[in-house]
Amino acid sequence: MVNLVDFFVEIGKLKGMPRRGWVLRNIKNPESIAEHIFRVTIMAWVLASVKKNNLNIEKIIKMALIHDLCEVYAGDTTPYDSILPKDKKKRAALLKTWPRFSKEERERLSKEKFHKENKALGKIIKMLPPKIRQEIKKLWLDYEKGLSHEARFFRQTDRMESLFQAAEYWKKYKKPDQKALWIWAKELFDDPVLLELSEILGKKFYK
Amino acid sequence: MTDNQFFLTEEGFKTIKKEYEMLEKIRASKVKGEAPKIWESEDLNPDFISFQEDLELLETRLIELENVLKNVKIIKSPAKGDLNKIQLGAVVTLEIDKKDVDELKIVGTLEANPSLGTISDQSPVGRALMGRMVGEQVVVSSPIKTVYKIKKIKYS
Repeated sequence: MVNLVDFFVEIGKLKGMPRRGWVLRNIKNPESIAEHIFRVTIMAWVLASVKKNNLNIEKIIKMALIHDLCEVYAGDTTPYDSILPKDKKKRAALLKTWPRFSKEERERLSKEKFHKENKALGKIIKMLPPKIRQEIKKLWLDYEKGLSHEARFFRQTDRMESLFQAAEYWKKYKKPDQKALWIWAKELFDDPVLLELSEILGKKFYK
Repeated sequence: MTDNQFFLTEEGFKTIKKEYEMLEKIRASKVKGEAPKIWESEDLNPDFISFQEDLELLETRLIELENVLKNVKIIKSPAKGDLNKIQLGAVVTLEIDKKDVDELKIVGTLEANPSLGTISDQSPVGRALMGRMVGEQVVVSSPIKTVYKIKKIKYS
């Protein structure tokens, strides 16, 4: 039980960790990682139930709950991190576009992120009993690699939540610049339910 | 695309087949209770190491792969006359909004991973590009307009 107390204290840190993408874009009081997890879990549950192709909803909900646990130690990362200029003007300009990399750079960055987060996840789930530890690890690997149908659906839902948050900040603050996030979405989403939802979101927030 | 049919590039098919064969060997070793020799292989994909500890994960993945291999449709290079058009399997060099340049491969949903440069033919950008030729440009909007100009198309 001592370890469980430690585990719950550690994951509680996600409540106070702002999401880096919004920090870089100078959003006032940006949402925390835990806040993102809360909404994406509900979204995944509801959207998976709207889909009519026998997705395992319990698996998706659990996957949503644990997908960012590694960030307690690995921190939140963005695709911009490796090329972020120190100069504020250059940084702002970069954030208006979706970052583009060569094939080799993409593979290297993806591997580095995976190893860092895998190590961090190992550190946090070490506090748990073996059975639940293995279940979390299994769900996280599935999500990271997009192995199952559920994982591939959730990976897109995860991005959809960020798109909702971006739209809400846009309505409130007229920032961040929305273009990069929408380019990202239009190259990623291919699930019919998420495509329809993104169309409606676009019409509602950007009239 | 139906839920039961998986479009894979030749490269994607080979990768999945290799993974399936590798995991089968791991399963056989585990069932025999052997320390799998496979772990000493230099070409072992480090991702497979995760399966070493978890038989259930290994079984789940094998079932998923079996389903894919049973229902696979391999993307063939188009006929000579159509090599100038974007179809599944095309590697396309794009100029985006007259600023950025990127190279994206158009694939089926199973292989799609924009972080690694592959996009689904069912995504809005993938759909807009299908059937287009070098020199053409496509506009992806709703809500924000982005212009993709096609600079080069190749098939591996």
